[in-house]
Amino acid sequence: MTELLVKNACVIDPLRGINGEVMDIAIRNGKIVEEVSDAAEVVDARGMLTMPGGIDSHTHICGTKVNFGRYMSPEDMRAGRTPRQGAMHATSGYSVPTTYGNSYRYSVMGYTTLLEGAMAPLEARHTHEEFSYTPLQDTMANTLFDGNWGILEAIRDGDTKRVAAIIAWTLSAVKGFGVKLTNPGGTEAWQWGKNVTCIRDPVPYFEVTPAEIIRSVVEANELLHLPHSVHLHCNNLGTPGNYTCTLGSFGLIPDLNKKRQTLYATHVQFHAYGGSGWKDFCSKSEPIANYVNMRPQIVIDMGQVMFGRTTTMTADGPMEFNLYRLHHDKWSNHDVELETGSGIIPVIYRRKNLVNSIMWAIGLELALLTKSPWQCLLTTDNPNGAPFVKYPEIIALLMSKRYRDAEFATVHPDTESRVPLPAIERELDWHEIAVMTRAGGARALGIQDLGKGHLAPGADADVAIYPLRIDEVDPAAEYQKVIDGFSQTEYTIKRGRVVARRGECLVHGSNATFWVRPKVPENYDMGKDPDFIEKFDRYYTVRMRNYPVQDEYLTRSRCIETEADL
Amino acid sequence: MKVTLAMKPMTKGFIPIEAESIVPKNFLSGTDLSVWRGNRELRLDEAFSVSVEGSADRAEDVEVVLSGDTCRLKRVGEYMDAGRITVLGGIGMHCGNFMSGGTIEVHGNADGWLGREMAGGTIVCRGDVADYCASGYRGGRKGMKGGTVEVFGRAGDFLAESLAGGTVVVHGDAGDMAGAEIHSGTLVVHGNCSRPAANMKGGSCYVYGTARGMIPTFRKVGTVQHEGRTLIQFTGDLANRGKGNLFVKDYEYLD
Repeated sequence: MTELLVKNACVIDPLRGINGEVMDIAIRNGKIVEEVSDAAEVVDARGMLTMPGGIDSHTHICGTKVNFGRYMSPEDMRAGRTPRQGAMHATSGYSVPTTYGNSYRYSVMGYTTLLEGAMAPLEARHTHEEFSYTPLQDTMANTLFDGNWGILEAIRDGDTKRVAAIIAWTLSAVKGFGVKLTNPGGTEAWQWGKNVTCIRDPVPYFEVTPAEIIRSVVEANELLHLPHSVHLHCNNLGTPGNYTCTLGSFGLIPDLNKKRQTLYATHVQFHAYGGSGWKDFCSKSEPIANYVNMRPQIVIDMGQVMFGRTTTMTADGPMEFNLYRLHHDKWSNHDVELETGSGIIPVIYRRKNLVNSIMWAIGLELALLTKSPWQCLLTTDNPNGAPFVKYPEIIALLMSKRYRDAEFATVHPDTESRVPLPAIERELDWHEIAVMTRAGGARALGIQDLGKGHLAPGADADVAIYPLRIDEVDPAAEYQKVIDGFSQTEYTIKRGRVVARRGECLVHGSNATFWVRPKVPENYDMGKDPDFIEKFDRYYTVRMRNYPVQDEYLTRSRCIETEADL
Repeated sequence: MKVTLAMKPMTKGFIPIEAESIVPKNFLSGTDLSVWRGNRELRLDEAFSVSVEGSADRAEDVEVVLSGDTCRLKRVGEYMDAGRITVLGGIGMHCGNFMSGGTIEVHGNADGWLGREMAGGTIVCRGDVADYCASGYRGGRKGMKGGTVEVFGRAGDFLAESLAGGTVVVHGDAGDMAGAEIHSGTLVVHGNCSRPAANMKGGSCYVYGTARGMIPTFRKVGTVQHEGRTLIQFTGDLANRGKGNLFVKDYEYLD
């Protein structure tokens, strides 16, 4: 039995309605408990800001796509080199670091749970293998269904229950967590050298539209009672004027779930563009945020862009090709058989570039104009908008108008006429930041009942203690202190153990992976469906029995079973 | 000041020595330096017989002479900014990385990555150089940015890859992909080479011999006179919207 007592912590725990109360946190055997014995090890938090461990609700850290980003950018490994030290392995890389690099840097920032944003089902093993080398965070993987042939055919036939059945079989087989749609239909059209411009364009051969895909997969997701909602990367990413498409997609979503949102729209910054071309490119964060404000069934994340070098990677193959034609640098493109595809290119976001400056502003505007922090979570779509190590700077920007103005003075001078950012006075408080970085993520992912994102007795003992005195620091003026404070925890506690202290990771750790197994009736078991089996045998390069990811791939398996309404 | 470093015979196998400390300015404060063999740190006098003549106040006045079997001595002259290094034999990989000033003269052959990403100064190699001479780092965008590299023997593959400034002259033949990804600067190959200036963006590449496997995405402009030679001028690489100039004495496309 191991016991730990965190004393005098200044706790912000939004899911329990605690906002800045000085209290003790008792931990036994990796869980939060009411009280511990006198023999417990004591960590004196001395009034420092203490929150549940951070939850990144959309990041790309593990899997084939990330690894190909490493592969095609050996020069990225010249940055961020740290030698082996104590329990820490050597690390390297900046925008696509080694798995240990990701894990240590997240841990030092107080993050304990990560959602890999896109896992191609066929290549799930690679994601799970890298998860087990991301030892200081619990992980889960969104599984890609945007171009799944079985699903597209079921949608064409109007059979939503079959859509749900295929999702159920695939999630169980690849040990996935949520349903991800990346440019639904678009990546499949890309196999024909085409794309879809918005939600009404039919996908070649299948003759279904992205709108039909989104609507039926959302319904199927709720039939399966999955913890997380559909996780959507809208069509037409990164194109001037795409905000109408984004609004159109949001408009398809009914409110189907009492406990959480019905749609999680990711990296909305990339989908909130106005103008008819790059010359009159401008921000449309206001209509998007207003729309989200009126619809509790939608949660978005920022997808904030920060200036500097990074790598973009997504399952949205055609979009990456368009980016390649703009940048004319390296490009990788990948097709995943009957499922999806991907593309990767390295980019540099520059302050002196007008489009990049506007993108930077849009992310911040979305966070500031969305009234409820529960509906707009803090991400950079790591590493697409920026590597996650920029989160502290983003927090400071959201908390300080003065910092925003100082940064705004350094971006392209024409930005002012294209964005509403300079007129926004709002400054987020500590509680709102806690929502955007942990509590909101836990609720949106549907994992608060599994003990994530809060510090109630019974919850996982994942705690981040930051060297910040919220009664002494004025974030509006002392933004540098905010950046420093969120960059390095005093203590990061994971599963009841101190795993990071002042920038150093102290234990090797061991990762747990959350995944979902929906229980479906016999007649909806795709593993026994003759038509599904025949398609599989005919078109996949692997045998159906070799397709599922074996249990050995998961260091600690946290299976979530759901009862499907089929 | 003249520092002579005579390499002691290597007793243990083929493990190369990493000697980024061998830079003229480091000898201004004595010879108490160290080098690495594998994971072991060695004092300079464990690997070399060290002798020092005279004294100096400025790095410009320091000459380092390396003798003995230095073929496996890596990273000599890395980040060097002044002074002179003379290598009497051959030199190992990564000699003169990031160098910004001074002179390195190699009397024998140089192994791979000679003068990688150098920014200034001069490197002269009297023998042959291996692959990636005067190039960039793997995956990097910019290679050598300034200075001069002159090779009197032959060069290996990827000579002056991603060249972004300065001048590279090879008196013998060069290998495959000479001057790939040139942004600016000048590459001169007196002998033959294959697939020169692939994906060139700017700058100039001269081949006084035959360009084999000539890249088809260059547009022929005509003939020009250059230092007493008649050369055929191309522009490209059109595949990369390039505006570089490629001059060849003779060329042959792939069959």
